Amino acid sequence: MKSVTIDVKDMHCINCAMKLQVLEDDLPGVITVDASYRNQCMTVIYDDSLVNLNQILGAVKDLGYSPELTQ
Amino acid sequence: MLSLWVAFITGLTTGGLSCMAVQGGLLASSLASQIEKEVGDQEFKSKRKKLLRKKSPQIALPIVLFLFAKLVAYTLMGALLGALGSVLQLTPAMRAILQFAIAIFMIGNALRMLNVHPIFRFFTFEPPASLTRFIRRKAKNNTSLFTPLLLGVLTVLIPCGITQTMMAAAIATGSPLLGAALMFAFTLGTSPVFFILSYFATKLGTLLEKQLVRVVAVVLLVLGLLSVDTGLNLLGSPISITRVLQRNNEATASQTLLPPSQTGSEGEGVINLNVVNSGYEPSLLHAPADTAITLNLITNNTQSCSRAFVIPELNLNKLLPTTGVEVLNIPPQPAGKVIGFTCSMGMYTGEIIFDL
Repeated sequence: MKSVTIDVKDMHCINCAMKLQVLEDDLPGVITVDASYRNQCMTVIYDDSLVNLNQILGAVKDLGYSPELTQ
Repeated sequence: MLSLWVAFITGLTTGGLSCMAVQGGLLASSLASQIEKEVGDQEFKSKRKKLLRKKSPQIALPIVLFLFAKLVAYTLMGALLGALGSVLQLTPAMRAILQFAIAIFMIGNALRMLNVHPIFRFFTFEPPASLTRFIRRKAKNNTSLFTPLLLGVLTVLIPCGITQTMMAAAIATGSPLLGAALMFAFTLGTSPVFFILSYFATKLGTLLEKQLVRVVAVVLLVLGLLSVDTGLNLLGSPISITRVLQRNNEATASQTLLPPSQTGSEGEGVINLNVVNSGYEPSLLHAPADTAITLNLITNNTQSCSRAFVIPELNLNKLLPTTGVEVLNIPPQPAGKVIGFTCSMGMYTGEIIFDL
């Protein structure tokens, strides 16, 4: 089980945050997604035996956003 | 008791327009988020270079949901009012505070949509992830529709003047069932006007495509400023936009040499004020200083919220009959004093100047 915070600077409304939260239903291995339009970031808790970080970043890109790993 | 048909027809005619003026801001906020989402989706799809047919934002569904939520909320409120049989009247000052809160919400949201500063992102209601997860799993794909539902319910906090009249009638029924039926009939009546105005107003906006979010933001900004103005009127402030405009009109009127009979003075200490559907005539009254004044408020088939007459500074508050004359006694005022009056929603205003 791992947790990662990803900056998504191109969320332009709360619907974007809701769209990113859908990953917890659509991407196997993702347990929860807590996306915030206000903070322009998302925290993902995932099972690293089922999905890796690159797959998560790829899925965010597929949704049309530009993810960046928080330093 | 007011019949259900009368309630429905009142809603269909004057109620719809009056409610639109007061609650349009909430509906605009709800549509704004929907349009924002649609435009966002289109931008995202074009980023992926997919061939797309042009699609206008789906605004009919959020409007219907908004109106449905409003209908349910008011029906429940009617039941509550009928059951309690007691008035939950807000004072003008409380309504003014409510108007300022709505204004801050609308202006903050407009500035957020215009990307003025990241701080304005705090003006949006961001539901917790657990709540959106629950709604998403309950009603797949339709998470954004939660907003119009919530805002529709919130309209109970800002009833227009005519709605307030209906609420009083619901209390008078003294029965939860009749109170609910009355508010249901009235709110149902307001719905077609609400729908037609908001649907076509927004459809026109879709022609502007990408600029639409900005247009909506500007509309929100204007509505927000109007709410501030309404709040100022309710507090009896002399510096609201409406009052400044009225004074300018008065200045122009003086240049055109209005006969003294139109200044509203009707002999020593007695003033007549016509309360009409579009406000108060004349909107500027001149009265003698240091004299007790009798203010005759004359209504003649007046249906609008101008009937709910308020003088905030003197804490006078009167719901006038549709047709008739109500008398208000105003204590002596010093020379040069200006007292503002308004309808209970701060939409229509006027002033009495003690300078005779």
